[in-house]
Amino acid sequence: MTTTSDAPAAPLLAATGVTMRFGGLTAVRAVDLTVHPHQIVGLIGPNGAGKTTFFNCLTGLYTPTEGTVTYRGTRLPPKPHLVTTAGIARTFQNIRLFANMTVLENVLVGRHTRTKEGLLAALLRGPRFHRAEKTSEERAMELLEFTGLANKRHHLARNLPYGEQRKLEIARALASEPGLLLLDEPTAGMNPHETRTTEQLVLAIREKGTAVLVIEHDMRFIFNLCDHVAVLVQGQKLVEGTPDTVQSDERVIAAYLGTPLENPPGDDTDPTGDAT
Amino acid sequence: MHELPQTLVSGLALGALYGLIAIGYTMVYGIVQLINFAHGEIVMIGGFGALTIRLWLPGSVPLGAALPLMLLGGALTSVAVATAAERFAYRPLRGAPRLAPLITAIGLSIALQQIVWAFYPDAKKSRSFPQFGGDAFEITGNIHIQRDDLFVLIAAPLCMLALGFFVAKSRTGRAMQATAQDPDTARLMGVNTDRIIVLAFAIGGAFAAVAAVAQGLRAGQINFEMGFILGLKAFTAAVLGGIGNIYGAMLGGVVLGIAETASTTYIQDIPGMQQLGGGGWKDVWAFVLLIVVLLVRPQGLLGERVADRA
Amino acid sequence: MKPMTTPTPATPLIPLPLTIARALTTAGAALTALSTFLAWTWTKAFPGNLTVTGYPGGLQLLTLTGALLTLIQLLATWNTPGLRWLSPTRSHTPTTYLAAGTLATTWYTLIAISVQLGGLANLEPGGYLAAAAALLTLAGALALPFERRPTHAARTPLPPPRPLPAWAEILIIAAAFALALSVLTYGIGTAYGELFTGFLLLTGFATAALFAAGLITRLSALTHKHRNITVTAAFIAAAAFPLTQDTDEYTLIVVNILIFSTVALGLNVVVGLAGLLDLGYVAFLGVGAYTAALVSGSTASTLHIHFPFWAAVLTGAAASLVFGVVIGAPTLRLRGDYLAIVTLGFGEIFRITVGNLNGESGPSLTNGPNGIPNIPDLAIGNYNFGEKQKLGFITLNPFANYYLLMLLVTVLVVLVFSRAGNSRIGRAWIAIREDETAATAMGINGFRLKLLAFALGATLAGLAGTVQAHVAYTVVPEQYVFAGPVPPNSAFLLAAVILGGMGTITGPLLGAALLYLIPAKLQFLQDYQLLTFGIALILLMRFRPEGIIPNRRQQLEFHEPTTTATPPAPKAEAQTS
Repeated sequence: MTTTSDAPAAPLLAATGVTMRFGGLTAVRAVDLTVHPHQIVGLIGPNGAGKTTFFNCLTGLYTPTEGTVTYRGTRLPPKPHLVTTAGIARTFQNIRLFANMTVLENVLVGRHTRTKEGLLAALLRGPRFHRAEKTSEERAMELLEFTGLANKRHHLARNLPYGEQRKLEIARALASEPGLLLLDEPTAGMNPHETRTTEQLVLAIREKGTAVLVIEHDMRFIFNLCDHVAVLVQGQKLVEGTPDTVQSDERVIAAYLGTPLENPPGDDTDPTGDAT
Repeated sequence: MHELPQTLVSGLALGALYGLIAIGYTMVYGIVQLINFAHGEIVMIGGFGALTIRLWLPGSVPLGAALPLMLLGGALTSVAVATAAERFAYRPLRGAPRLAPLITAIGLSIALQQIVWAFYPDAKKSRSFPQFGGDAFEITGNIHIQRDDLFVLIAAPLCMLALGFFVAKSRTGRAMQATAQDPDTARLMGVNTDRIIVLAFAIGGAFAAVAAVAQGLRAGQINFEMGFILGLKAFTAAVLGGIGNIYGAMLGGVVLGIAETASTTYIQDIPGMQQLGGGGWKDVWAFVLLIVVLLVRPQGLLGERVADRA
Repeated sequence: MKPMTTPTPATPLIPLPLTIARALTTAGAALTALSTFLAWTWTKAFPGNLTVTGYPGGLQLLTLTGALLTLIQLLATWNTPGLRWLSPTRSHTPTTYLAAGTLATTWYTLIAISVQLGGLANLEPGGYLAAAAALLTLAGALALPFERRPTHAARTPLPPPRPLPAWAEILIIAAAFALALSVLTYGIGTAYGELFTGFLLLTGFATAALFAAGLITRLSALTHKHRNITVTAAFIAAAAFPLTQDTDEYTLIVVNILIFSTVALGLNVVVGLAGLLDLGYVAFLGVGAYTAALVSGSTASTLHIHFPFWAAVLTGAAASLVFGVVIGAPTLRLRGDYLAIVTLGFGEIFRITVGNLNGESGPSLTNGPNGIPNIPDLAIGNYNFGEKQKLGFITLNPFANYYLLMLLVTVLVVLVFSRAGNSRIGRAWIAIREDETAATAMGINGFRLKLLAFALGATLAGLAGTVQAHVAYTVVPEQYVFAGPVPPNSAFLLAAVILGGMGTITGPLLGAALLYLIPAKLQFLQDYQLLTFGIALILLMRFRPEGIIPNRRQQLEFHEPTTTATPPAPKAEAQTS
């Protein structure tokens, strides 16, 4: 495993030998990946390569059949909600907002794990409760302003245009104050302008101190943003390195364009992935 | 463990009955994720349909000869009600949040009970149902099978085999499997999923009628309320065996039937539990079994087979 | 100030020039009102004495009210000075609703007379006049131009109201409550089923008219502004009810409505907020009731102890809590449908078990099918609830005492519901209901929160049960069935929550009141009550699943097409990457 970018501190996320089997199907095969603080790492590969499955292994939605995932040196807890509390947040490939809650409420829910006022506090409504609610609202508004949604805070999530829904998902994920943010195809379906805005947003997220691991098909997006890119094909990591290295690698080009290889990693390469 | 063979045999008969009803639940749930709350009432209506045929035939016709006609009549009524329910009560609510079809099912269940109670002659009390009666068959010295139990012991395996064959080998059967696993893709492959769903309801209805006749033969009576507790137990059986799994439903039914029979026989022998072993407690033990299964193996004995709606 | 979207005017059903339509409606309403002063039938066999010429009686009063309301509403929309405030939307729809309501109750009365007495010959000319006049009124109203109702999302905001001083606004709120209370009291006090049916018809249409006129929106704005006053006013109005009664007859009804409402509200936490399918809720009520019965010194109780009231309440609530956790813990980790079956089973098992625990079929604890009678009256200190008490110049009958106690419990439950719902926990519950996977990704422990909702619901039911045991003097297993003609039972509770409107506070209260009163009042439906109930459930879920008082969320959930935002170009939206 070669990491060509400067990796100063201990890795934030270290996935080692992660394998995920569903019955007879091996979706992810012995994948190693590290993300360091302040890094933006890209994960690319044709459809069906196992990228979302790998994500799900990183967030506790699936427990890897083999391999370990550590975050800040400790093994990931087995339950998704504990993973979020530990500091990894995610967005989903198909938007999973709380459609019938307002924009503000969505972000407030995102903050759930960083607040602890339980039922008793809610029933008694002491000063602590009111303070916590006020703080939560303030933080949520900060995030909405950060993502440019502040003026729509009382709109229902389902009524937002597509691009803003994606932004809301990111704002909601950021509400849990994660150290690492997993973005699953954040620019799917976006026009170039929206894609550039998302790029700016991701860069700003990195400025604020959160590392980012992003699955994407838009190569320009990847190359503009990522310090480090890994390529997943047929569940295995094919190549990894800086965007330039990866872009010029023959095997990667072949995986996307379908030229038969001498030593293919899998049986067939699926040529339906987007070409840059 | 005295009387074990007898317990097993009696429990098997009871369990086969539960299994037939459970199949109806499990088929519908496997495809549309709906607990057809009214299925118990479909059983009940099948029973009344069969009874009506019996009353319509001249009294001189022996039960054995009348039985096929009764089954036919019962099945026609059940299937009619089941498919009508699907078409008019459930289908309009296909996309709705899960609570809507469940409440509809509850309403339908109550309505069907009340229709029979109010409109079927003399249905406010139980109506007696013909039985074969006579001496029980003696298999060995210890094991007796009531003649009326024979019916279900023969009918249930026949139904199971027929259904199993149909689902595995026929084209429509494969379409059913496909719809149960992934309705959207099945539709893309040209399967008319609406018709498949109707078929699932219909098969469930037909089996329900068989179960109703079995219950009538065993108990000698049917009443408008019989569907409620039968339905509850049958759904328990379906969960026990693995929801969505047809063989699981029958297996779950048999397990439940044997457990229930065993509870009336053996619990009172356990020191300290004498008073908890009588007939009045068998329903409670069935429920306890459900809780235990959910705790220990929630996917059921043979595993779930439900379309993933995530 | 211009409205955002102009409602599209549509051609009325009956095309007539506006002045003619107005004239028709006015004439019709006046005639209808007039007809109530005539005799509608010649015999007193039909209740209410509709045989008198000179003053209206019984159902004629309803027709009269309807006609007058129609007239007033028409005048309000006609820009009559002094009445303009009655129609903020300036729409003719309320008039049409009121005309329809008047028609409905009038024709119902006449048809009921004919059916009961055996033939149209039993109607007097006054009755025919009423029928014709009501029809005329509706025809006129249908000829008025109306606006097509905009969809919920695009509802035109009303022009802002004329600003009033605070005291005037508070007075309006108080008046509204007084009106609501009188209407409710009248409804409860209707002596015979036909009057209640007519009352329901008229109130139903009148409520629709209120909504269409925009008055409800206005009132909501006011109550929102003066939140605390509203709540206090509601409480005072409710507390004042027994004082308006001379006998206990109606107070008993209202106590039972309160019990039913409180339990429904508890179920609302489970079903309406957290979205859990609980089909055996009444069992928790039963656990609380039986526990209270056992520890309150009844002679038939097997535990010969007599706890003071507060201890009995705590014990009952605690017992329900325990059962809630025991049932919920294994089941809430699994798919939601399993909870439905398990709770249904628990409901049945509870009833069977307490019926069996009579010493013969089982250990002796609950006295079997006979239940535990003779639960002594509550006594807190020197205040014995079972006797008339004097507080200053107010005399409280026994049921009035229990009523006030139950009112306190209801207020408590409302408080719990409202505070829990508007908090971090409440948001988490709604998130779980919307999309549990996404909620988990936000760090929400789905299982723990669902268990919390379930256990809270069970505790509230247990709490209500302890009071119910004292009100009813007896607890028997037969009360706690899944479905039966007498509320509360699990099916009715669920129906009350859904009919009224899940997730709201007033919803279950209204639903419970309706579901309690309708079977009680409409005795002539006797044999077909449950059948009607079942059919009503089916129709409700088909046509108005969000209930009478819609929760904003629910309405969107059920009616708007699922607009999952799809990307504009079919780029790589494959399921797997």
